[in-house]
Amino acid sequence: MKSDRSWVGTAVLIASILLLWEAAGHWRWVADGTLPAPTAILVRLFAERGEYWPHVLATLKISSLGFIIGNLVAVAAAVCFCLWPASERLMRGINIAIFAVPPIAIVPVLVIALDAEVAQVTLAALLVYFPSMTATLAGLRDIDPRIADLVSAYGGGRTKMLLLVRFRAALPAIMSGFQVAAPAAVLGAVLAEFGSGARWGLGTYLLGSLGRAEPDRLWGIGLTATAIAGIGYVLAAFVAHITTGTNRSVTLIAPPRSYDAKQDNAVSRVAMGVAAILAPFLLWQLLLVIAQLSPIIAKTPLGVIDYLFFSKFSAAAQVKILAALAQTIPITIIGMLIGLATAFALALISFAAPTIMRALLPFALVTQTMPLVALTPLAVLIFGRGITVTLVITISVTFFAAFVVLAQGFALIPRSAFDLVDSYGASTLQKLRMVAIPASRSWLFVAARLAMPKALLGVMIAEWLATGRGLGNLLNQSRGYLDYGMIWTVALVSVLVAIALYQMTNLLDRLTSR
Amino acid sequence: MQGLPLSFTGVKKAFQIKGQALPVLDGLDLNCPAGSFTALLGPSGCGKSTLLRLALGLELADAGTILAGNENPAAMRKTGAVGVAFQDAALLPWRNVEDNILLPFEVLGRQPDSPDHIGELIRLVGLEGFEKARPAELSGGMRQRVAIARSLATRPRLLLMDEPFGALDLILRRQMNLELQRIWSAARPTTLLITHGVDEAVYLADRVIVLSNRPAGILANIAIPFERPRAPALFRDPEFHKLCDEISAWLEPQAEASSR
Repeated sequence: MKSDRSWVGTAVLIASILLLWEAAGHWRWVADGTLPAPTAILVRLFAERGEYWPHVLATLKISSLGFIIGNLVAVAAAVCFCLWPASERLMRGINIAIFAVPPIAIVPVLVIALDAEVAQVTLAALLVYFPSMTATLAGLRDIDPRIADLVSAYGGGRTKMLLLVRFRAALPAIMSGFQVAAPAAVLGAVLAEFGSGARWGLGTYLLGSLGRAEPDRLWGIGLTATAIAGIGYVLAAFVAHITTGTNRSVTLIAPPRSYDAKQDNAVSRVAMGVAAILAPFLLWQLLLVIAQLSPIIAKTPLGVIDYLFFSKFSAAAQVKILAALAQTIPITIIGMLIGLATAFALALISFAAPTIMRALLPFALVTQTMPLVALTPLAVLIFGRGITVTLVITISVTFFAAFVVLAQGFALIPRSAFDLVDSYGASTLQKLRMVAIPASRSWLFVAARLAMPKALLGVMIAEWLATGRGLGNLLNQSRGYLDYGMIWTVALVSVLVAIALYQMTNLLDRLTSR
Repeated sequence: MQGLPLSFTGVKKAFQIKGQALPVLDGLDLNCPAGSFTALLGPSGCGKSTLLRLALGLELADAGTILAGNENPAAMRKTGAVGVAFQDAALLPWRNVEDNILLPFEVLGRQPDSPDHIGELIRLVGLEGFEKARPAELSGGMRQRVAIARSLATRPRLLLMDEPFGALDLILRRQMNLELQRIWSAARPTTLLITHGVDEAVYLADRVIVLSNRPAGILANIAIPFERPRAPALFRDPEFHKLCDEISAWLEPQAEASSR
């Protein structure tokens, strides 16, 4: 009975949030009507439904292709990494780069190097690759050791183990990877449409509607993109349910594993590390060789170094890059920290009051699947084009990703741990200090690793679309000036910044874990 | 099909626990002639299971030689001559009873001997009607019976069993003891059975080996004189009980102390 009543409470809370939104829209409480009522959005959406179809179909096509190709590559890579662990160490640099790169930073580069549609599918596939690969790899590796013994006892080698045990055992994990990957594919498609000047697609539609001050139209497009991502998520969840019969938590992406390299000697470890760092650059060079592009528009790694340090533009380019970095990096870190802190506080409150948690989780999940770009124009309408909008976008994307992770982390703290300190008469503050905060420490870092690339992406999108500052703006400008050297340089610098921030999070994790 | 001999000569094995070497086997010699039935008894954690894993080549010895059918274990297991049942049923949760018993054939890339081979095995362990059931739908004892059927499926020449009847109740356990004796008598695979049941060991084996605590050494090697086939009535025989008591005495802690 008690749980029935608390679900009623959750439903009431969700209904009140929607009603509040409706009221805010109806009486134009937020920034002179830039937050339209849900009903107004739906009415507009219905009225313009004919206009949507070609855009929706284009986005569907790109994201489905990206989803399929990205998953094929991800599963194949995971199988390789599982069979030959050394290959994973070799690919580590590439994997981290793919995980951490702000997708928007490489859109112009992809558009230069590939056909428009191929570039879009590639970006969607890239965003699909990482969550799918990590989930599949974890599933393939994590098999029952007793069953592994049994198969070995009958002379089964790696291939038999893979075919008879690992694939089937990994199915739930692969499916949960697909669930995370489906919204990621839509985000990739929309981002790519947006940066590639495609004719059709929701990203294009959004960009085209940006100049007109029609918030209900923007919201309609944003919600449509979210709905597509959400449908992808639900479809993947449904397939997962019928194939595995288990319903798993899916919103969590495991951070890349740390490597247990103790059996290697120092020399081979250093060699492997160097190889892992060089691998992304080799891949870059290799792809350009295959694509056979003119070195003027397609810069190789050495080409970028030449542009940045030894060409006649290098002095000006360095000034521009440094200025952009000085604008982008601080706000990324600040936004991420505020987002994390808010998520942490709210996760704590939700832990104390589960009703709030259950009411917020649907909204948090919707924003998880909501393509970030759809959010940006709306934020611009509400908060203007100043630094506030960058901060708001960064905080909100960081917040929701972190909140989901932290709330799940708190849910895993055993109640008995609290009962123990409770029985010694601990105050709420003491309970937090002694149990909740230490227990959630590792989750905080999981959340930080997950949120960091999102924060950088959020900042760069806001800069590109709204504020005219930082790396995002530099990228957009260079695109306009056809400054190919700068486009490649910004892409490389963004990846390096992302990896540096990622490694700093890891370092902090290691330093505080003692 | 003859049983394959199994021998351990001067086998040493230590595990690293927090950087310290913990010797589990320290120069153990054990010889199981072709077609013999050996039961291993010993305190828990003494290294019985390690011995079995070494015989399968799942672990490598630090020193000494292990020969199974005059080959090293890793080479021998690829020939499909081994049957194995672990303490835990270790069934694949997504396969039904039939398909779990078929697993060794799939690993070895072989077909069952006859179309009804799997059916026979299922009847043998008394699981008729559960052919299509998944492990989650079975009780612990039923799962263990599937594992036993699976260990016998390939008509092994070397049968290694690690407390296979531990999870069964006494009645079922006796029943399985009888069945195992019947199967063993027909095919005579060399059998190494790890168990905690003294009566089970005496009933089934040609000889019972009692191992000492870590590092495991052979405390006692007792030949079991009863004629085969052994009738269930043997479980009630005074001679049988006398032998059981004698072996149990070896398992008491002071027995180990006095032997040193």
